[in-house]
This record gives sequence, structure tokens and C-alpha cells, in this order.
Amino acid sequence: MSALPSLTAHWFDGQQGQAQPVEVRLEDGQLHFGGQQLPLSRVQWPERLRHGRRLMVLQGGGVLSFPDAAAFDAWADATGHRPGLIERWQLSWQLALIALALVTAMFAAGWRWGLPALSDRLVDRIPLSAEQPIGDQVMAMVDKQWLRPSQLSDAEQQAWRERFGRMLASARASGMAVPEHWQLHFRRTSATLGPNAFALPGGQMCVTDELIELLKDEPDAVLTILAHEAGHVQHRHGMRTGIRAGVVAAAAAIWLGDYSSFLSGLPVLLATNGYRRDHEREADAFAREAARRGGVDPARMAIFFERIREKYGDSAESPLAISFSSHPADSERIAFFKAEGPVAPKN
Amino acid sequence: MHATAAVPTTADPPLPNTEAAARVLQIRFTGSGSEYFRIWAINLLLILLSCGLYLPFAKMRRIRYLYANTLIDGEALAFHGDAWRMFRGFVLLAVLLGASTFAETFSPAAALPAFVLLCAVWPALWRASMQFRLGNTSWRGLRFGFEGSLAGAYLAHLPVYIPAVVLTALVPDGQGPSSDPGVNSQFWFWMTLGMLCLMAPWSTALLKRYQHQGYRIAGERSGILLRTRSVYFIGFKMVVVGLAMAVFATLAAIVLGGLLALVATGKIDAKGNGHYYGLAFIGLLYLFGAGGLLPYYAARIQNLVWGNTRSASLRLHSELRGLTRLNMMNWLLIVLTLGLYRPFAVMAVTRLRLHAVRIDSSTDPATWKTVRAGSHADASGDVAGDFFGMDVGL
Repeated sequence: MSALPSLTAHWFDGQQGQAQPVEVRLEDGQLHFGGQQLPLSRVQWPERLRHGRRLMVLQGGGVLSFPDAAAFDAWADATGHRPGLIERWQLSWQLALIALALVTAMFAAGWRWGLPALSDRLVDRIPLSAEQPIGDQVMAMVDKQWLRPSQLSDAEQQAWRERFGRMLASARASGMAVPEHWQLHFRRTSATLGPNAFALPGGQMCVTDELIELLKDEPDAVLTILAHEAGHVQHRHGMRTGIRAGVVAAAAAIWLGDYSSFLSGLPVLLATNGYRRDHEREADAFAREAARRGGVDPARMAIFFERIREKYGDSAESPLAISFSSHPADSERIAFFKAEGPVAPKN
Repeated sequence: MHATAAVPTTADPPLPNTEAAARVLQIRFTGSGSEYFRIWAINLLLILLSCGLYLPFAKMRRIRYLYANTLIDGEALAFHGDAWRMFRGFVLLAVLLGASTFAETFSPAAALPAFVLLCAVWPALWRASMQFRLGNTSWRGLRFGFEGSLAGAYLAHLPVYIPAVVLTALVPDGQGPSSDPGVNSQFWFWMTLGMLCLMAPWSTALLKRYQHQGYRIAGERSGILLRTRSVYFIGFKMVVVGLAMAVFATLAAIVLGGLLALVATGKIDAKGNGHYYGLAFIGLLYLFGAGGLLPYYAARIQNLVWGNTRSASLRLHSELRGLTRLNMMNWLLIVLTLGLYRPFAVMAVTRLRLHAVRIDSSTDPATWKTVRAGSHADASGDVAGDFFGMDVGL
């Protein structure tokens, strides 16, 4: 076949809207049309897909439009132009589904192993001194917006700090790793928070008057709750959560982002809640062991859950349920605190 | 529900139909969900394998597919953008957003300056992205352009920024009508939200006016006759529809919550099963609010804004209906398929929105010619647009 295959097209020169009918052919890597010639490197070749107009965008501003897609594809084949790797990939359902399966596997593996390992390694590299100001700032902010000074006397506060310190000291003496630096704050709160305790980066812990009030005859329960918060401090959960939430948000934006940013908030919430639940379990394990080693009975935690239920009814109406929604179920936790730990030491 | 009810009839009389060239430019969208699904799947894999660096190239593939399938009067749009330029803009934007997110998470004190910085450059970035996107789009070989001024971009954002500035400057921490700081921070939160909602229509009007006065193709420069009160009227209708939806969501939540409780515990009793009702209510509120109400607003705004956009020889019309229903269906299907339906949803919404638009032209586009942008006063904007090469959505 001596004659090179050619194809009719509309040529828009980039200056006027008038289409000029031309015959296009490919010769020695040059595109010839309407008395023009252009090397292929200066032509954006259209992708082969089932739908859509075949357009060649020419460097310099012009456009070649091929009204008949099927004819274009046949012509492209005849000139020996091979579609690129990604193009062939996009044409095949099989390959696309394999790609999707790989993506799903990567997301799952990243969520299950990659991200926790990454955030752990990253957190290990952040010195405690860098964490301190973060905790201070958050505490200052929470203080301003949510909390008021405690009504407990200084002596009462000091007594709690000493009890807590003693528990940690004896846990440390028995060989357990416990936080070196911690600060325990007492605050009164608004009705929105109620009986609560929380830990912040940099070893800041805070317990509300309402919680102390609820459990003033059950010091072991209070100390176990504080030990739970110390568990968050020891494992630096605040920093870990921050890093993980950021990465999950980015991943969700890639998955759903250009459809709706509202919708992509959903997986972030679910995924970070999953991580948080793991953190709560870790902190519970720490609390149970620290309490036992520190001569405190963690089984008294059952009283705390009982009283919360009495006070707020079932979990739904309790403000606690909102802030603690990522905690494992109460019954599961009661059973955990009552169970014999694997390393219950006998002094 | 007639979408066009809110569109004020135009002030000037219709152009006399004298020229034989006068005709309707129909818009057709031929994109297919299954094809877009495959493009999406492969884009995702390459983005992950390249640790995100493929993002601009993925975006370019996506834009080219959408453009090749958008036929105006039988000719498709073409994209002239250079993926490497888009890459630079992408890196800049990623650093900016990453830094502000990071600051927000780890340092509340640094969060405010980071946010202020983002706010300060945002209008310029917004304008630059429109310049880039339109400047690299052509139809019949004729480039589009965006000619809104930089100062105009900042002015258009004023209603968003003024209340924010006033609130941060005037509200002392923890102060307010109540002695309880927790109540006070909620008070200010609702105050801010309320102010933003009240100003949202004004803000929409300013932004849309700015955008639709800046488009150009060949000798056609777009203009718009948009009354702020028309946007407020849409906002008012949205509140009414929203209330109706809230009532419906409440009723549906009672039914759905009862079903959930029955399935999970075997009892319909609301006592002790309150969280099932709560879950159903939040889910439905989310579906109706973000999935239904926002598209309702978007559809009415599209009809109002495009219906009032014109240039010397072009008049646009938009009769978009059914976006709310389509979008709620999409949300359900996306959630049920864990996101797999997403590409189909994007195609369906794009088709509906584009098919709703009709263009009347009093001249033949074949006679249009590129106008040399010799008298262009603000060349630095073009350079910036070219440099940033990003697109934050039109």
C-alpha cells in the first residue's frame, strides 16, 4: 500500500472560529494537514476511549477535531500509532478492577498497619519538649472556653495528687514504664461536660469536680480513671491521633473529594474513631496494670459505670456518651477491669 | 417547583431576530459512568503508587475526558494545560493547606496566623485558578479567558471576611452573656454561624457577579444582571424547604430508629434504645441537609446566575430541575457501595447540569475571531495564573 492513510478533520487555527476541512496524514513522525506540518512531539494525541470527541491539541494554539471517533481509531491503528500503557489500561474493565482491588488492599493495609506504624515512628521522634507547648496551648484554650476554676480546696487537690503520685511511684518501682512528667489539673465544668477526665499532649491531665463529686467515696475508681489518662500520656495518644487524622483526611479526600467534601468527612470520622477505640483499650490495659501494681483495686471502676448509668440513664442521653462515643462498650470495660490481668504482681 | 420562578425577567427587550445566523447552541454531554469509573480506578492506583505526585496528571486526564465529552453546538472543548505547570501549583497549594492543617492540629496558637495567611492569599489564588483553567480551555480553537481584576476578587470576598474579623477582634475569650464559659463559646459559635448564614446570599451574589462579569471568548465578554435580593429570595425558599425536610427527617428517623432498634435488640422501646433513634436522625439530617438542601440551593443559583449571563451576541438560559433528587440518590448509592458509585454520580450530575443550559447566539461562532489582548492592563495576573496552574473548582 503506497498511499499513506489520511483522515478528514476540522482544523481550527486558534485565530478564528471557522472550521477548515483538512486531510490529515502522518508521515515520518510529522503530522501533515492543510499545508501545515508539525512534529508529533508538539501534538497532544487524544486518548482512546469509547465516548467523546477525538481532539488533537496543537502546540501554538490550534486544534484538530475529528468528528468520527471510530474512523479516527482505525486511522490511528493504520498509521501504527500505539495507545499508551495507561490508555490501554483504561480501556479494560479487567485491568481497572484489578487496579481498584490493589487500591482497596493498599488503603486497608495502610489503615491497619502502615499508618499506625508511621505515626508511632514519627511520634517517637518528636521530643517530649516539643509536645509540652502543644499541651499547654490546648489546656489554655480549653480552660478559657469550657472550664472554670475548681471548687476543691488546695489541700484536697494536693491529697489527690499525692495519692496518684504514690500509685505511679509504686508501679514504677515494680518495673512498669509510667509517665515521668505529668500535671494534674482540677476544674469545674459546665453542664455540657459533666463528670469527665481527659489527657492532653505533654503530660497534662485534667479531672472535673463533677467526677470527684460522683466518686468521692470510691478513691480507687478515681485513681483508676486517672491511671487511664496516664495511659494516654504514656502512649502519647494525643500526638498519634493528630497525625493519623491528618493522613486519613487526605486519603478520604482522594477517594471521594471531588464529589463532595461533606461526604468525605464521613470516613474520616469512622476511621479516626476506630483508632481511638484502640487507644482507649491501650489506656485501659495501662490503667488496670498500674492500679494493681500501685495497690489500687481497678474492679471498683464498675461503680463508676453504674453511677453514670444511674445519673444519665442509658448511654444515649448522657453527655458522656457523646464525648466518649469512641470508647468500647461499658460492659466490655467493666469485665476487663474485673478480670485478672496477665501480669498481676504479688508483693 | 418551578426553577425559573426566581429568575427575574430581563430588563432589556429581546434582540430583534433579524440575522439568519441567529441560532441556538445546544450543549450535550456524552460522558459515561463506566468509562469514568475506569479512569478513576487507574488514577487512584497511580496516585497512591506515586505518593500523591501523580495528582495533577490525574486531574489533567479527568479534565480532558470531561472536555472531550462536552459538546457545544457539536464541537468539544479542548484543554491546553501543561501537566507540569499544574504540578507546581499543586505543590504550592498542598504546602499551604498542609501547613495550616498541621498548625491547626498541633498548635492552636499558630493556627490563627496560618488561617489568616490562607485567608489573605485565598482570593488571589481563586482568581489565578480561574485564569488558568479558562485560559487553557478552548472551543473551536478560540481560547476562553478570565478578566476579573485582583481588587475585584478581594472585594467579592468581603462578606465572608468582615464578620470573621469582627468576631475575632471583638470577642474576648470566654466572655459573653453567661457566666459559664462553655455556654459562651457555644453562644459565639451560633452567633458566627447565624451571621454567616444571613450573609451567605449576599456573598454568593458578589462572588457570582465577579465571576460572570469576567468571562471572555473571542470578542465576547460576559456580563451579568444579578440582583442581590433574588439570591436572598432563593435563600428564603431554601429555609422553607429545609424546614419541611427537617420535619420529614424527624418522622423518618422515628421509623428508621425503631427499625434499627428492633433489628439490634428486638425491642422498639425508645427507652434504652435512644442512640438508635439518634443515629437514624443524624444520618437522615446529613442526607437531607448536605445531600439535599445544598444541591437545591446550587440548582436555583445555577438557574438564576446562568439565566442572567449574557454577552454582546450570546444569551444563556438554564432550566435545571431534579438535582436535589439525583443528589440524594447518589449519596445513598455512594454510601451503600462504599464510594464505588462515585464516578457514576459525577457523570450523572455533570450531565444534568450541562443539559439544563442553552445558549442563544445572534451571530455565527464561525465568524468569531481572537481578539489580541494588547490592552490588557493586569498582565501580572496572567503570569500568576500560569504559575499557580491550579483549579479550585469553578
